Amino acid sequence: MAVLDTASAGQVFGPYEVAIDPNRAEAYASAVGGSESPRYEDGLPPVALVAAGLTKLIDELGLAGGTVHLSQEAEFLRKVRAGEPISAKAELKANSVRRGSRFATLFVEYRDADGRLVATSSSTVMVPA
Amino acid sequence: MTLAGAHKSGDLLAGFDRLVTQDRIEAYARASGDFNPIHIDAEFARNTQFGGRIAHGMLVLAFVSEMLAANFPATWHRGGRMKVRFRSPVFPGETVTVFGEVTGVSGSGPDAVLELKIGCRKPDGSEAISGEASVPVG
Repeated sequence: MAVLDTASAGQVFGPYEVAIDPNRAEAYASAVGGSESPRYEDGLPPVALVAAGLTKLIDELGLAGGTVHLSQEAEFLRKVRAGEPISAKAELKANSVRRGSRFATLFVEYRDADGRLVATSSSTVMVPA
Repeated sequence: MTLAGAHKSGDLLAGFDRLVTQDRIEAYARASGDFNPIHIDAEFARNTQFGGRIAHGMLVLAFVSEMLAANFPATWHRGGRMKVRFRSPVFPGETVTVFGEVTGVSGSGPDAVLELKIGCRKPDGSEAISGEASVPVG
């Protein structure tokens, strides 16, 4: 049974670590970068952190492979360094079943080692029920 | 209407095209940790609603974020916000076009924030991603 089957709005997940090591940072630059891209020497875009955090959360919640990402919100406060320890804490904001599919919205805060907020995100996913 | 700085409503941001290759998708899987077979496994993906492998939505969104970082290098990562919907899958071999347009401004002086319409189009003109962003420009 997936965690979301019994979870209620307000439930908190984590905190868990979502550091992006140098190998993953290099992979990010290969995947996303182009000639017009800003250079990554001074840090990774926090959208990379949001993606890594969402992946970790999906794993933690045991969501099925057919999960579809419907929408995404994010706010960025600063870049992150490769390997920098970042802590993510998620809160389930909505969780319902409609027409045979589960819809869930998860809000995540990302904080650095000093507890300062680096980014926030809100993801809505549809999971086959 | 003249907005904060040199921007005015209706201004288009400098966008770009990006060819989405399977190599990019696999690099993004390593970067994000998302090895969902819908992105990686051709055999698995053939039997899904999409009929083949698709790019991670967050990869396509990362292209949009790159455009915003290139247009607003000093501020996008220090107070930028985005809100988007994923509308259509992007398949390997497709070239997508990221775009942005200034729609307004809120605040003034050091608190000025540009409001933008943002997104990413597929080769057939349909939108893979669409939404809004705001960027401090004060």
